[in-house]
Parts: sequence; structure tokens; C-alpha cells
Amino acid sequence: MSSIPVERPALQAKDFKSDLKPIWCPGCGDFGVLQAIYRALAGIGRPPHEIAFVSGIGCSSRIPGYTTAYGFNSVHGRALPIAQGIKLARPELLVLVAGGDGDGFSIGGGHVAHAIRRNIDLTYIVMDNQIYGLTKGQLSPTSPRGLKTVTSEYGSLEAPVNPLLYVLAYGASFVAQGTPADMAGLADVIEQAIRHPGFSFVNVQSPCVTFAPEDQQVKAQRGRMKTLASVGHDSTNRLAAMGLAQTYGEVLYTGVLYKDPAPQPTLDALVRERQAKLALEAVPRERILDMFLQK
Amino acid sequence: MNDLIIGMAGSGGDGVVSAGESLIAAAAYEGYHAMMTKSFGSQVRGGESSCRVRLSTSRVHNPGGALDVAVALNWDDFLRFGAELPVSGDTVVIYESKTGVAPDALPLIGVTPHEVFAIPIADMAKQATGSDKAKTTIVLGLIAGWFDIARESILRGLKKKFARKGEKLVEANEKAFALGEAYAKEHPLKKPRAMERPVGRDGAKMLTDGNDMCAAASIFAGCEFFGGYPITPSTEIMQFHTRELWKYGGAVLQAEDEIAGIGAALGASFAGRKAMTATSGPGMALKTEIMGLATIAELPLVIVDVQRGGPSTGLPTKAEQSDLYMAAFSAHGDVLRPVLAPTSVADTFDVTVQAFNLAEQFQTPVIMLSDQEIAQRKETVDPIDTSAFTVETRKLPSAAELEQYSRFRMTADGVSPVSHPGMPGGNYQGAGIEHNEAGNPTASGRVHHAMNEKRFRKLAPLQARRDLFHIEGDPNAPLAMIAWGSIAGVCREALDLAKAKALNVKLLVPWLLYPIAEDVYRDFFAGVKAGLVVELSFQGQLYHLLRMYVDVPSCVTSFCRSGANPIQPREVVAKLLQASLALQHPINPIATEA
Repeated sequence: MSSIPVERPALQAKDFKSDLKPIWCPGCGDFGVLQAIYRALAGIGRPPHEIAFVSGIGCSSRIPGYTTAYGFNSVHGRALPIAQGIKLARPELLVLVAGGDGDGFSIGGGHVAHAIRRNIDLTYIVMDNQIYGLTKGQLSPTSPRGLKTVTSEYGSLEAPVNPLLYVLAYGASFVAQGTPADMAGLADVIEQAIRHPGFSFVNVQSPCVTFAPEDQQVKAQRGRMKTLASVGHDSTNRLAAMGLAQTYGEVLYTGVLYKDPAPQPTLDALVRERQAKLALEAVPRERILDMFLQK
Repeated sequence: MNDLIIGMAGSGGDGVVSAGESLIAAAAYEGYHAMMTKSFGSQVRGGESSCRVRLSTSRVHNPGGALDVAVALNWDDFLRFGAELPVSGDTVVIYESKTGVAPDALPLIGVTPHEVFAIPIADMAKQATGSDKAKTTIVLGLIAGWFDIARESILRGLKKKFARKGEKLVEANEKAFALGEAYAKEHPLKKPRAMERPVGRDGAKMLTDGNDMCAAASIFAGCEFFGGYPITPSTEIMQFHTRELWKYGGAVLQAEDEIAGIGAALGASFAGRKAMTATSGPGMALKTEIMGLATIAELPLVIVDVQRGGPSTGLPTKAEQSDLYMAAFSAHGDVLRPVLAPTSVADTFDVTVQAFNLAEQFQTPVIMLSDQEIAQRKETVDPIDTSAFTVETRKLPSAAELEQYSRFRMTADGVSPVSHPGMPGGNYQGAGIEHNEAGNPTASGRVHHAMNEKRFRKLAPLQARRDLFHIEGDPNAPLAMIAWGSIAGVCREALDLAKAKALNVKLLVPWLLYPIAEDVYRDFFAGVKAGLVVELSFQGQLYHLLRMYVDVPSCVTSFCRSGANPIQPREVVAKLLQASLALQHPINPIATEA
């Protein structure tokens, strides 16, 4: 993240709220995520026009439109590639990416590993509700085995993807989990994720009030929630983080699972370095064809 | 003579392609017009390889037909390239005598060339250099000796090429070259064929291929981002950018797949940078969804499709013109995307710049349909005066417009000023979902219709862009040809041949393939008595596309066949001649000819 210009009036959460009314069902977890993002962005203090907020398709992917940032509600599963293009084109921007579990770990699952290994400086927030809500209740890649839905009449035969283990295994530089059941905690991990230089991932257990079973709802979540601080987790220990991540679907750990204590250079920083180094070799654009002359 | 076609084939290690490159570089330096195509066997390394070099004192429009000189370092390899290396009775055949083939028993079916030389090429190379690695240098000496071409320039090139490897190797190759040359002098051709000197010799030419030209042109046009995935035969565009684009503050992303490649490029465009991707047919199929996003989000984007034989993996190393339907129509929803096609390495510069300009001007994805032949053949190109080109950039909102910014505001020409992240006051939601003028999602049929109308209306000026079409020959001629892409070069030569046969022919070459500029074709068809739409595809896709939009006269027919079956200028002329005779005597045109 580049430094914050100082002479601006402090921004408040409401400065990031757009006039659009969310299409979400009353009680949807995503309302909480949206509030947490407003708070986190106010904490960061970058003005909305310096933020690019990219999403895919799904209920949660509507979220950029409810902020005052530049938003791009793109196509299903492709938020990460688009966001990477934005970040490489304008590294000075704060780039946020958001979407659902289907967007991130099913149709767009192939992109996650590559965004991670590039360690490009963006923050990816997945609103994980273990169900396809927008299309009215089909199985998602994080649906638990046995879940009965309209596409699994007799119960799902497949094991779920574990998003936390997935991103930790590929070497994500920052991994956290939160829930709208703990708004302050969620806003805090999102803000930390944004501040962390490199690829940051926040899994939010954001329940679907309409299609998810009772045991996924906020009320049930409270019984499963454990802050990582309360178990004395060392967030600089990737293996310990992977150990805790194994409990995905049973225990709902909140807080920072992993934060690289010595972050690797980000792709965008390396690109800038290379551009600066090679700029001296550029012939003017109008003379680019000279290289083909047989002299 | 003023036109010479040399074809060579050998095993992977023989260096025939490298020799071809030496020859064309020397020819370019001398001021000849030249073109070189290469072809490889299916092995990744060590398989057979071949090249064709055509030199001429006048412009070269295509790689040509039968060879004037055929060089076979071994016959098995040579014969694998039947389509690329056709031998006629007039071909001078040079081959390695070690192959044991008798000069009167060449394995060429149906032809007995007049001049055949079985030469101990490997032994001569060994004699000169101590190794048989210099076989192709012997061949260059033979060619220089017999055809009197580019002697000094070839030697100069060899010196440059081997200088890095030490003075010893330079001397050895000079010796090999001299040995080849001496052999030629001692064994003169029955029918001497010295090449004429290049006319004018107006200075050195450029030498490059279509992929490099495309990438260089994109940098001239202001490209700052490339996102893509390697795919034959387009990969060299990305390779060029990974060397050059950083120097201009740009970035290259070799993405994890074709979709991510175009996705990143579209992201860069959303961020206000000129961006491109390049691919071939299978990659185009994968990119289709994001092209739709670019259309509805009204973002400039250049997509280069270097066509190869399809469907699916098809013929990855051979040119075909079979992606036109896909370029025009592979879209979900009502979509109009400009489709352009270059016809040579030289005009790949113009067309690439046009593609960027149209993309920026109309905030639209633009597809450039190159093809394997243009993309990978080397061609001499006369120096291009880049100051004659304008570079367009997208219309940004003014300070007043930013006061109350409406991203998709309905304007008279359908083009709305576009902001980008980082621009205060320009904040908006880009989206694949239908949106109102402010950019907010809508499901209103009225708004959807109005937005479709806007997205089509803004492209209407394309219909009047006559500069994107070239009519060659007598514009009132009754015989007509239409050709695009690399086949335009075949028809340009056919036009010259037809003129020499006193046939009255005209040729229409469109750079803009879609939308169909109806008036251009209507005017062109006026007065035509017989015509051909010449294409390298099984279906003849442009012909059928034209029939969708234009009242194509029934006397205009499709002449087409699948890729990897080169169309020869002479065949086209024969068809035109036939048509002309049929017009004179429809019942029995052959009798008329007799």
C-alpha cells in the first residue's frame, strides 16, 4: 500500500456508503460484511476514488456497488484476474476483491493459487455461506458433505473445499477469518488485511438467511466461534495456522490465522522496479520500428 | 531474372532455417523485397525443418508457388514438406550426394527437373571447417554463385552471426561459402539465371514477422498492458512484450489461462490504460465471456487472434481463415465488435494501430484477425513514417462533467466520456450487468433497449470508413476478386498476372471485416460480371457473411479451401480467365479459348 496523503479531512464509514439499496434478503450476513468494510476503509483513510473494488457474480458480488469506490461487478469467477490487471496498471490504487465461495473456489478456483503465488498487493474477501444463494439454494464448493439442497436431493456426496487450508497451502501472505457475528473483529481483520503488503485473504462466514441450514446462521455460529487470541495462536506460524484451519466447518476461528512476519516483495512492487530499471532503454514509441531496420 | 524462390529442407540440426534467415537478412540489406516462411515437423526438437525464401526486385505479396531452387539435405525430410516445397521442371534441384539417390531417379512424382546437382555438401563442409555443421554455408555459397545475389551481404551477415563464437568460426564459414561459390562457378547452370540488382536501392529495409510487427505497433499505439497465455501461433506477441513493454512503463502478465489473460487486460483498461491480449482459435473461445463484459462495460480492448487450422487443436502451425464467424458472432447477447484483418507483415502495423484507435475511440473490444502465415513469416518492409499516423485515446470526462458524472450518459454519438480509478469525481460501477446511465444495475427493458441502441449507434461511423478498404486494379473492371488476410497477398499477385494476360480485373481488400460496410460492397459489385471471394477456409466465411448483409450478385462465387492447402495466384487467374471466357461464350468456354 502506498502512503496516505496527510492533508485530507478524516474519512468516516458513511463516506464509503453509496446510495444504492442492497438487494440482499433482510438479515443476510453480507450487510455485516459491508458495514465492516466501511469501517475498515475509514480506518485506512484512502479516499473512495483511490479504491478499486472488484467482484464476480453472486449475491455477495453486488457489494462494490454499495460503496462509493470505483467498482467493477464483473463476470462469474474472474474478479481476481481483473483486479490483478488493475493493480499492475495502477499500483498506487487500493484494490479490493470480493465474492462468494462459488465465485472464488468453484468457477474461479483456478485463479486463487496464481494470485497467491504472484503475491500481488490486494485484499480478497470471500463471503463464504456454503450455498448458492442468488440462484436459489444449490450446492456450493464449501457445502458440507451430506447437505440436502435443490441439486442434492439426497444429500451431497462430495467433501467441501477448505478455503483456509487452500490459501495457506499456496503460501498466502496474510490469512484471516471473521464473521458478521463479531463486527468489530471483522472490521479489524479486514483493515489489517488491507494494510498488509501482499496478497491478503479474509474468509468471512457470512450466513445465507434464506437457503443455509440453521446451524450456519449467526445464532449457531456464536456457539462455534473462538477467537484465535483465546487459543494463544501464533499468527507467524504457518504450520500452526494450517493445523487450526483443519477444523474448518467445525470450529469457527476468528482473527488472523497467518501473517507473514517477513513479507516477500509484492508483484506490483517488482513490476515498478523493473519498469524503472528498463525505462532508460526505451527508444521513443514513434521510433520503435527502428529495431527492424537491417543496418 | 527478377524473382527467385528458394526452398530448403533438412533435419533439425542442419540449420536450414538459420540459413534462410541469413539469406533474407542479406537480401533486405541489399534492398531486395523478400519473404520467408518456415515449417517444422511435429517434433519439438530435432525433427525436420524447412524454409522458403522469395527474393524479388519488386514487391512480394505472397510466398509464391513452385520453387526456382530446391535444396534437399536429405530426401526424407524434403518430401515431408510437399505442400510447402513444390518442385517443377524448371526448378534447380540441389541435394546431398551422400543420400545415394541418382540424379535421374529423384523421388519426385511426375516431374523431371532439367537441372539437378548431386553435391557432396557434407564433405565440402568438412573440408572447409573440419565439421559438417557448415553444410548450409556451402549451400549459401552455391546460391550466391549461381544466382549472383547478395554475395557481400551474405558474407557480412555470416561474419556478424559467427563473430560471437570466435574468429576461427568466422573464417571457417567464409571458407565454406567460398567453396560453395567456387563449385557453382565450375558447374555453371545450363540456363544461367543471374538475379537482377534491386531497383533504386533506396536504402535498407526493415525485416520482421507479423507477430513482432503487431507487438511493436501496439507500443507505438500506446499499449501499456499485455495479458495472455502462450498459444501457437501468437506467442511471439507476448514474448516481444516481455522484452519491451516494461521500458514504456507497461506491464505483462503471463496469466494462468486464457481467461485470466484477457481478464487482466480488461482490468488494466478499466484502470485507464491501453491494453491487449493475443491468442489463437481455442483461446478465443475461452475469452468470449470477457469480451462480452468489455462490450457492455464499454471498455477499450484489443484482442489479436492469430488464426490457425481448427476446430480445436486442429492444425496449430498452419494458417487458416476460419475464425471469422467466431470473431463476428461468438457473443452472448446483441453485440457488435469491430473485426479487422491485416494482409501482410507491413500492414500489420497500420491495422494494429487502427485496432487500438477504434477501441479507444468507440470504447469497445476490437478483434484483429491475423493468421499464422502473416504472423510467422518474415518479410522485408519499407521504412514506415510513423508521423503519418495519429494515435487516439479515449475521451475522458471534463472537470464540468465530473461535477455530476454519469458514466454511460446518452450522447449524440453514443460515446460517453470514461473515467478510471484514481480520478476524483469519476467514481462509478463498471459492470457486466445491464446498467442505467449512472452505471447502476437495472432490469428495465426500456433501459436495456436504449443501452443496446447506444452500443450499436456509437459504431455506426465505421460504415463510412472507406480508408479501411483497398480497391486495386481498374475500379470499373467486370472481373472482381475479394480477399482478406494473407490470401489478399495471393490475389494481389493474381491481379498482376491477370493484367499481364490482359484480363480486366479489380480486387477489394477489406481491413475491416465486420461490421460489413454494406455500401462499400454494393459499390464494388456494381458492374461486376464475374467475381470470386477467395479464402483459405472450408466454408468460405467472408463470402457467406457478405451474403447475410449485402445483395451479392450470383455471378460472384466463393473460391475457398481448408488451411494448409496454399492457394496459388495462378489458380486464381485460371479461374478468372475461365470466367471471362464463359462470359464470352457461356455454352462452351473451352472451345472459345481454343
